[in-house]
Amino acid sequence: MDRPKIPVDLILAKMAAEAEEAQHRLEKARDIFLGPLATDIGTTPHEVVYQEDRVRLKYYRPEEVRLKTPLLLLHALFNRETVLDLQPDRSVVQNLLKEGMEVYLIDWGAPTRKDRFLTLDDHINGYLDNIVDFIRRRHGISQVNLMGVCLGGTFGVIYAALYPKKIRNLITTVAPTHFDTPKGLLHIWLKEIDVDRLVDAFGNLPGNLVNVAFLLLNPPRLLLDKYLGFLENMDNKDFVENFIRMEKWIFDSPDVPGETLRQLVKDLYQENLLVQSQMELGGRRVDLGQVTMPLLNIYGQYDHLVPPEACEVLTHKVGSRDTEDLCLDTGHIGIYVSARFQKEMVPMIAAWLLAREGG
Amino acid sequence: MAQEFSNQKASEPLLAAWIKWTMDFWESMAQMGPGPVATAGVGGGAAPEAGAVRDPWLAALQLWQAFFSLLTEPGTVAAVFQGIKAPSETILRMAQAGWGGYFYLHQQWLAAWQGVGISEGEYGYENLDQDIFKICNEIYENDFRQLLNLPQLHLTGLPQNRISRATDKFNQFQTAMAEFIYLLFLPVKKSLRAMGAVGITFGEDNLPIEFKEYYKRWLKILEGHYMTLFQSEQYSRTMSQALNALEDFATAKQELLADALEVLGLPSPRDLDELYREIYLLKKRTRLIAKKLDQSEPSGEEG
Repeated sequence: MDRPKIPVDLILAKMAAEAEEAQHRLEKARDIFLGPLATDIGTTPHEVVYQEDRVRLKYYRPEEVRLKTPLLLLHALFNRETVLDLQPDRSVVQNLLKEGMEVYLIDWGAPTRKDRFLTLDDHINGYLDNIVDFIRRRHGISQVNLMGVCLGGTFGVIYAALYPKKIRNLITTVAPTHFDTPKGLLHIWLKEIDVDRLVDAFGNLPGNLVNVAFLLLNPPRLLLDKYLGFLENMDNKDFVENFIRMEKWIFDSPDVPGETLRQLVKDLYQENLLVQSQMELGGRRVDLGQVTMPLLNIYGQYDHLVPPEACEVLTHKVGSRDTEDLCLDTGHIGIYVSARFQKEMVPMIAAWLLAREGG
Repeated sequence: MAQEFSNQKASEPLLAAWIKWTMDFWESMAQMGPGPVATAGVGGGAAPEAGAVRDPWLAALQLWQAFFSLLTEPGTVAAVFQGIKAPSETILRMAQAGWGGYFYLHQQWLAAWQGVGISEGEYGYENLDQDIFKICNEIYENDFRQLLNLPQLHLTGLPQNRISRATDKFNQFQTAMAEFIYLLFLPVKKSLRAMGAVGITFGEDNLPIEFKEYYKRWLKILEGHYMTLFQSEQYSRTMSQALNALEDFATAKQELLADALEVLGLPSPRDLDELYREIYLLKKRTRLIAKKLDQSEPSGEEG
């Protein structure tokens, strides 16, 4: 059978014609790389107002305060919180400040071997509860608004179930709560993993292993296409700066405390206890029926890490009668780094909070 | 001398068998090679552009055939070995074990190659052709691993057990990683094959002249193959094995390091872990007491 003939000669001729253009691009790229580049992340001015062990609390003050209840941002342990303040024109933190919110952001720091015994209980009933109490005391208020990102959102749900009186409004963004789904690769892989062996061997989960796991979620895009895109755009200074900022964030995964990982994998990814209200923390049952505050649940339709199936169950399981699901047509990170989604999402969050500000 | 001769004689049929396998292998490789390659000689019917690729193949095959025909002739092996006087029985046995392993590997490799080209079905990752890793592992376990398990002579005072264990775990980790990486490469192989049917994906009369179009199409196919692979049981199993091997190696390395630190009079990671645990528990208890004290004050708010 004759195969269709690929016009190799025409393709090669076209590539040769483009070679000259590539040379110009390379020369321009050289000037960009040798010149000054603004690639710092997390640059929005802030003050560290609280610190406990490695955990720090950053405070961002808006020019004009329009919401009297401050918002506490809670990120996952697997990545750095700087994704919320990646670049000046696409910073979730800056956009929240523009809406007149006082923002607190938890920096979980970089766990070392001495942190390997810290449990989920230490993070939620310990650090997180102490931070919430600190903010309440600082502002003379009884409740704060809480917004959780990814597994930080899961932490937020657990915290809200244990301390419902301390949370006025709860916002979860791409936060998995239903872990028994074959849609997300992470959910499939972590179901099979022997977490006891992992923790016993390494103490903490090494950040490099986390990086590799994230890259393996989509090798063609994350290991190849992304870098070819970079080569094509390396004569564009803005593109280069944004690309390097993103690289810094992606490859800056901290180690995860071993005992925390053990419980996360067993109770959530393998046993799916949270959504069944059967999880226990510090001797107390985490009952989702106790999540009675208003809940805004945001997730991405094309999220390959935390698929919609892992998020959308939450609003049906909580005790609150004021719940809202918002499915955006983007992926996991797009919500935080895409200018378009920030333009849509942040004012919407501000309006939702303002409507529930109360007296 | 008679013993030596008989050993040499015994290895000759083995060598001849191996040579036959090798010849068969290269013949089948030549048949699979680029263009219509004839193995019996330079064929006259081949297209002229195929000649440039075919000729080196044939030349290599003929050289290979000539060399091994010489080797299979009676007495050649004896001539080759005549300069070596009375190799000890131990060396011969070790060499035989090594050759035996190699022949076995070669035989299996040949069998695996004969299976090349048989379709696994589109997007299928079951029954993968990964016997090569199993074979490597078998050879390692049968012929080499036992050397690492030799009983320790305590007189030397060296931590031989730890070193052997770490070496063994390192080797096992390498095997598991090789298998895992091979698995990760399979979608690339499959997607490139799929691109062979480019006429089907683009339409025969609509082949683009932009390289980027082919790249984009390939990337999409590649992504599809990866998603299928990542959801397969085979992937989960291989990934778990690689991870387990990494963990075993990390543990063995730590144990070896702990011994070395002990010799130097330094605390080992295990010692530090015990200390960290004690500090952790003390801090936790202290914080609990501090919290209880705070709560006992009248101004304390509770959730």
